[in-house]
Amino acid sequence: MAAYFARRFLLMIPTFIGITFVVFMITRFVPGGPVEQAILQLQQASGGEAGGGAAGNGDDGSGVPPEVREQLERQFGFDKPAPVAYVHWMGDLLTGDLGQSYKYSQPVMDVIVSRFPVSIYFGLIGFTLAYLICVPLGVYKAILHSSGFDIASSAIVFMGYSIPGWALGTLLLVYFGGGSFWDVIPLGGFRSANWDQMWEQGEIWWCVKDQLEHTIAPIISYMVGSFASLTILMKNSLMENMGQDYVRTAFAKGLPERRVIFVHALRNSLIPICTGLGHALGLIMAGSFLIEFAFNIDGIGYLGYTSIVGRDYAVVMGILVINTLLVLVGNILSDVLYVVVDPRIRFS
Amino acid sequence: MATPAADTKSSVDPATGSTREKSLSVMQRRWRKFKSLRRGWYSFIALIALYALSLLNPLLINSRALVVSYQGDLYFPAAAEWVGGRLYEAKEFGQRAIGEAEYRRLAEQYEEADEGDWVLMPPYPFHPNENLLREPGLAGNPPHPPQARHWLGTDDRGRDVFARLAYGFRVSITFALVTVSMYYLIGMFVGSVLGFFGGRVDIFGQRLVEIWAAIPFLYTVIIISNLLKPGVWLLAFVLAIFSWVGISFYMRGEFYREKAKDYAAAAIAQGESRRSIMFRHILPNSLTPVITFAPFAVVGSITALVSLDFLGFGLQAPTASWGELVNQGKQNIEHWHLVTFPLAALFVTLQLVVFIGEAVREAFDPKVFSRLR
Repeated sequence: MAAYFARRFLLMIPTFIGITFVVFMITRFVPGGPVEQAILQLQQASGGEAGGGAAGNGDDGSGVPPEVREQLERQFGFDKPAPVAYVHWMGDLLTGDLGQSYKYSQPVMDVIVSRFPVSIYFGLIGFTLAYLICVPLGVYKAILHSSGFDIASSAIVFMGYSIPGWALGTLLLVYFGGGSFWDVIPLGGFRSANWDQMWEQGEIWWCVKDQLEHTIAPIISYMVGSFASLTILMKNSLMENMGQDYVRTAFAKGLPERRVIFVHALRNSLIPICTGLGHALGLIMAGSFLIEFAFNIDGIGYLGYTSIVGRDYAVVMGILVINTLLVLVGNILSDVLYVVVDPRIRFS
Repeated sequence: MATPAADTKSSVDPATGSTREKSLSVMQRRWRKFKSLRRGWYSFIALIALYALSLLNPLLINSRALVVSYQGDLYFPAAAEWVGGRLYEAKEFGQRAIGEAEYRRLAEQYEEADEGDWVLMPPYPFHPNENLLREPGLAGNPPHPPQARHWLGTDDRGRDVFARLAYGFRVSITFALVTVSMYYLIGMFVGSVLGFFGGRVDIFGQRLVEIWAAIPFLYTVIIISNLLKPGVWLLAFVLAIFSWVGISFYMRGEFYREKAKDYAAAAIAQGESRRSIMFRHILPNSLTPVITFAPFAVVGSITALVSLDFLGFGLQAPTASWGELVNQGKQNIEHWHLVTFPLAALFVTLQLVVFIGEAVREAFDPKVFSRLR
């Protein structure tokens, strides 16, 4: 078994190289990259002050002297052929250097890490709440299968499946954000602008309240998607176990129903639920950019989105690297958890 | 295949050829089961009817007249536009204006003149891309709230929201059907090949698929769509080439399972070609998971389109789209109708598809739970 997981870890390497290589190539060959953007800025600047005085020097018609273009290409690492640049980038990565953000003029790592608190905050709360609500709800629905409660809650759960989280979020903003009807939640953001100031003044209660107000709507949006799948997974898993022979045996030997369900069947039906915990690693980078876009929250998702739109490729690649590692390790961790929870399972 | 002896053996009923109408194929039984699940079946009918209706949008919701009768001649501007014919100039109908005829005004003009000319407008006489700010009753700055003539109000450029929703429905469903069929083709092909050949092909192929699957697809779509400014077909293609991986996993698993069965061995023993074994024998038996997934794939691609439009990286500007309306609503939160109606349309559409999906799953892959109590 250890050999199996060792091989899985080794297989991560080609996958990781493949993913980063493909995305690196995309960023290289897509026009409108950082060099073009810098030239555009130069053009606007020179056009603004001197009416394009340097025009005619450049042979590419951009009005920018070739030596300036070369210097820009060197600065952004675009002077080397793409595969060479990739090897250089990978070399830097192995020493822990993700490069500089073009936009923020800071190391990429600092830019990304500064968003961690937001992502971990929403990720952790959403994850915990989803499990705390969905698991008992699923169990309850399985016990009361095809009762009125089961059918009614199924209807609600499936409705949640038909509305994307960010869409529900926008709806909440319009109805409860003070635009049209009620004014009970703020219009997005992670917390109010003067939060740090109030915190230093010791207004702890104000801060807690403010933070909670900013949390409710995004959390609902985050949960609406996972809600349906997790609840139904729990329900079906328990239902399946309830039909097994060992449950019949437990009933036959006269155990009380509570004990059969909660001790025998429930423990086995939690196995598929547990494997999801392996992806809890991804919480550090949690943050759907759609939901963050809807609520103007400056988290990882929003950072990735603005970096792509602004062609800040160093940040794009940085996020990709961290995300990919978390997903790949999370996959393996899920399988390890599988083995820990259910000793019958053997990988080879 | 169709010798009488084989028939009697394969049918459950021991009687001979006359029992044919009683024994149904697997597919027929599933189809009957699907029809018997009322919620899914009615959703299916409703969705097909709505889509068929939306294909007639140019004749139902349009600012161009269905029929113009001018000086004894009949003209059909809406139909002419639909089949790609020419647009009629205002002066051809005796209207004092430059450029294309304005049919709602033309109708009023003919009525006042009372010379026997007439105009028949579509039931909902507004075009989704038409700026309505010069319309009576739409004073002030857009967006306008819902009102008698404009059922769902107007958007921030003074265009009719109902017309845009109706055209957006057609775009969304068409887009989803095109995308899903494209990526089903790719995914089924890749999955079948990996599953059928196995061995090295599979190990190597799986690595490639894994890499492909891990590329953050919405990011890449944004990069591409930022550059190419794609239309419906190109956007569907871009989405499709990043969506087929799940399908290939299903197919691969099914092929692994099916090729180990006796009928596959029999086909090999008969000396059938690989292609025949793959596509005539194994493929039809491996379709259950991908068919049951299809409605949920449609849900996924409708959602993807709306999300991209919401971010502003979807279809090009004047195209009627739900996501763009939601984005407008997010920027004008005092205008509740801009968010509510497109999301209601999205919700109802997705709910219908989910109901269909549930019924298909029930018909193809029934889960029978038995328990003691």
